[in-house]
Amino acid sequence: MDFMLIGLLVFVLGSVLALSVPSNRARVIANLVCQTVACVCVLSQTIPVLFGGESLTGVVQWSYPVERIDLRLDALGAFFLTFSLPMTFLGSVYAVGYLATDIRSTRHVGSHFALLSSVQISYMIVYTVQNAFAFLVGWEIAALSAWLLVIWNHRDQKIRFAGFNYLVSTHLSLLFLVAAVMIMHGETNSFQFADYQRFLATPGIRRGLAFVLLMTAFGLKSAFFPFHTWLPRAHSAAPAHVSALMSGVIHKAGLFGMLKFILLIGKPDPWMGWYLLAVSAASAFVGVLYTITQRDIKRLLGYSSTENVGIAGMGFGMGCIGLSLDQPILVAFGFGGGILHILNHAMFKCLLFYGAGAVYRFTHTIDLEKLGGLVKVMRWTAPLFLLGSLASAAMPALNGFVSEFLIYFGLLQPSPTLGAARLPLLLAAAVLALVGGLSALSITRSFGLIFLGVPRDPHHVDPTAKEHPLMVVPMVIHLVGILLIGLLPWVGLTIVSEPTAMLLKLSSSSTYLLSDFVPTALIKSLTWIGAILLGLFVLLSSLRFLFLPRCDRRHVTWGCGYTKPNTRMQYSGSSFSDPMTQVFRDLLRYLRSETLPKGPFPSDGKLETHCVDAVEHSVFNVLHRGERFVATVLRWIPETSRASIGFGLVVLVVLFTIVVMKSRSGM
Amino acid sequence: MNVALLIFHLTVMLVAPIFMVGIINRVKSIWAGRRGPRLVQSWYDIARLLRKTPVYSQATSWIFPYAPYFVLATTITAGLIAPVVPGFAILAFPGDLIAFAYLLAFGRVPLMLSALDTASAFEGMGASREATYSALLEPVLLLSLGTLGCLNNVMSFQDIVSAGTRTEFDVTVLAAIVFALFVLLVIESSRVPADDPTTHLELTMVHEVMVLDHSGPELGVIQYTAAMKMTVFAMVIAAVVNPFSVAEGGVIAMLSMATSLVLLGVVAIVVGLLESLTARLRFRALPLFILAAFIAVVIALVAVVARQGGLR
Repeated sequence: MDFMLIGLLVFVLGSVLALSVPSNRARVIANLVCQTVACVCVLSQTIPVLFGGESLTGVVQWSYPVERIDLRLDALGAFFLTFSLPMTFLGSVYAVGYLATDIRSTRHVGSHFALLSSVQISYMIVYTVQNAFAFLVGWEIAALSAWLLVIWNHRDQKIRFAGFNYLVSTHLSLLFLVAAVMIMHGETNSFQFADYQRFLATPGIRRGLAFVLLMTAFGLKSAFFPFHTWLPRAHSAAPAHVSALMSGVIHKAGLFGMLKFILLIGKPDPWMGWYLLAVSAASAFVGVLYTITQRDIKRLLGYSSTENVGIAGMGFGMGCIGLSLDQPILVAFGFGGGILHILNHAMFKCLLFYGAGAVYRFTHTIDLEKLGGLVKVMRWTAPLFLLGSLASAAMPALNGFVSEFLIYFGLLQPSPTLGAARLPLLLAAAVLALVGGLSALSITRSFGLIFLGVPRDPHHVDPTAKEHPLMVVPMVIHLVGILLIGLLPWVGLTIVSEPTAMLLKLSSSSTYLLSDFVPTALIKSLTWIGAILLGLFVLLSSLRFLFLPRCDRRHVTWGCGYTKPNTRMQYSGSSFSDPMTQVFRDLLRYLRSETLPKGPFPSDGKLETHCVDAVEHSVFNVLHRGERFVATVLRWIPETSRASIGFGLVVLVVLFTIVVMKSRSGM
Repeated sequence: MNVALLIFHLTVMLVAPIFMVGIINRVKSIWAGRRGPRLVQSWYDIARLLRKTPVYSQATSWIFPYAPYFVLATTITAGLIAPVVPGFAILAFPGDLIAFAYLLAFGRVPLMLSALDTASAFEGMGASREATYSALLEPVLLLSLGTLGCLNNVMSFQDIVSAGTRTEFDVTVLAAIVFALFVLLVIESSRVPADDPTTHLELTMVHEVMVLDHSGPELGVIQYTAAMKMTVFAMVIAAVVNPFSVAEGGVIAMLSMATSLVLLGVVAIVVGLLESLTARLRFRALPLFILAAFIAVVIALVAVVARQGGLR
């Protein structure tokens, strides 16, 4: 625990230095050095715990009403800390490249880096404290820091609005969390998680209510459907590394919260697991469906976060079902796959956001319909983005496949003792398959439009732009992680083994490990598949380039008889997704504005379509209609004599009745 | 025994695609009153393409020349997982059917990307259609294999198709699943009624329009890969229908291999007849076609779960 404390203090020192040192360069360097030292200190403690060491405990005395904060670093917290801290550090390194112009200018960038350090501090609080009050404080530090990071370019009104939207949503989540804590505090008169366990372990209506409130709060934090509306806005407004950290790392706290409280609940009621599975499947589906309609890269990646937390949540839901039906195999694959997917998502999503940021620095736009052809100029970013995209669509030999494979494996479990539960589980597997197919479409579309073909808008290619090395290095490091887990699934399973074991212990008295359920043949075969695939590819393409005739001339693309094609005539993003959006047109809302060309000699005509978020749209619609209804009624009553007399009468009758009732009961 | 099976599996996977295409074309020409090309004609076509010097589009990048070989690699890997005969597949492990579905999905992405790489609107259109229909097919594929697993309480491809004594109930369920697998085969390998490989109007194509700018060896490899993908699906169908398991060894194993070969031929003949007798569906109707397959599988799944005493 001592090293953890030192780490925390060094993070604080990093913040202070970033704010107080004179020049921008010195601020950044001081902050990064402090972050490195602190990460090393903390990781030296968390890594042994993650791989089976004893949990670390500590106590902090505080004044009334908290009095005592228990600290406990268990395998689950260690897992989250072990990836959150270094990834946030990499995000800070990326920030140096991304904010290079700001750092050279007179603007004080120290505050930005200080906020990144305070995000790190919030992880250390949230993932270790065993006290609801301190947990809420850590939660709030993360929320406020993230908000301030989002509005870095606060001069832009749109960005301020997106930041405000985020601030409100994240506090809605806090309200739900506070409500749940109030219920638990009311039942136990304590802030200690250990005391909550007694209350949460006994079935009852209040436990159910607390569960729903907690899942809503954590769902809002991790952007589950239908609470995802703040996310695409915030992600598109924030600087790339902030979007990456929010999506990949900071909002994983919601999933941590789910796991934490599932651990306290112990044996959930069956409906809890099904509820979680259904909500998560809906999130995964809606998230991926929206990714195929977006034209802003970062909004697209934001919706993809909703998809991926949904996939992880499906694993957790299945695990809960396993706990209530006493099927340890579902617990193992559900939680194992879900927890591994958290790590995998963090890796590829950070990589993709960093790629989007690099594209933005190169072209000053993130509008898919204006990009194209970047594969020829962005030599590093293009292949990195491609591999990251493929990983996010769970393609074999990359990390996303390993975690989704585990979840599928649980959903398709052939154990006949599951009985009727098999039917919904298999249907959930079908949903996951559809999500996989849609995400293959989505990554093809985004990579194809950004990097392939020729630039759709030639103004947007800056001939002087270069890829900043500090932006490339974090991407490469993330790619190494993606390939490592993808090609050697054993590594991933070892990392999640201990956290999953904590949940497996809930299912029965015996101490199972994840490895007791995963057949070794499976792990070996997954490695083999990757090896065979790559080996065959290398073999076939080298045979081709050695023995078959090579291309010696190039020609314009076949235009199907049309001889004057231009770059705007490439397939556009909305036309690419059109056949699919036609299939799901009832679930999507399009805003359409058109001016049709008229007359025998038509001049200008235009058509604009925007896919808006159906949930957000209908929420605003309902609010708008309600507000208009109230306004009309309020105007109508005093203006129409009949109505005002009538309503006056009604009010009098109601008042009279109340008075009579009161006086009768008083007698 | 295993070595013999391995050689058999590899041979079928690599050689049968040529004959599958040959049989389909022969059936079509006989139906139209012609004699038709030789059964191995497509091999000569591919060999000629392999000797030609390719011409690439000016718009293309490094993705374009490598993509076809990657697609071939994924298809071969998927073919190693898919069984030809019940009870044996080269790569068999618990959950291999998930890997099978995802390998096929992985094989589609590079081809769609190389279509977008040419900056052609027509090829983009083909990629978009391919992406849409294959995404809708994913749940059908996974659910039909999952239902088979449910029927036999196992999770490996070679066991879920392994035969045994089959009751009438099993046969009914298998019929529904074979129907779904056949729909998958037709759409995945772009045959009528989902797509017409012989049409000459780019606007009406799915698969062919994606490869307009491929030429020479790349085009040859793509054609071979498409035929192989069809064969892989036909292999799965043959293995599901085939009542003899190779695990029993001896004469039964020989019989099993022979049956699978015959069944591959039958699948090719059915595809050929379907091409001769039906017209291509409108694009709008394709999702409904897929939905029909999905419903068939869901009915089979509900029946299986109910039968095993799950639903009361």
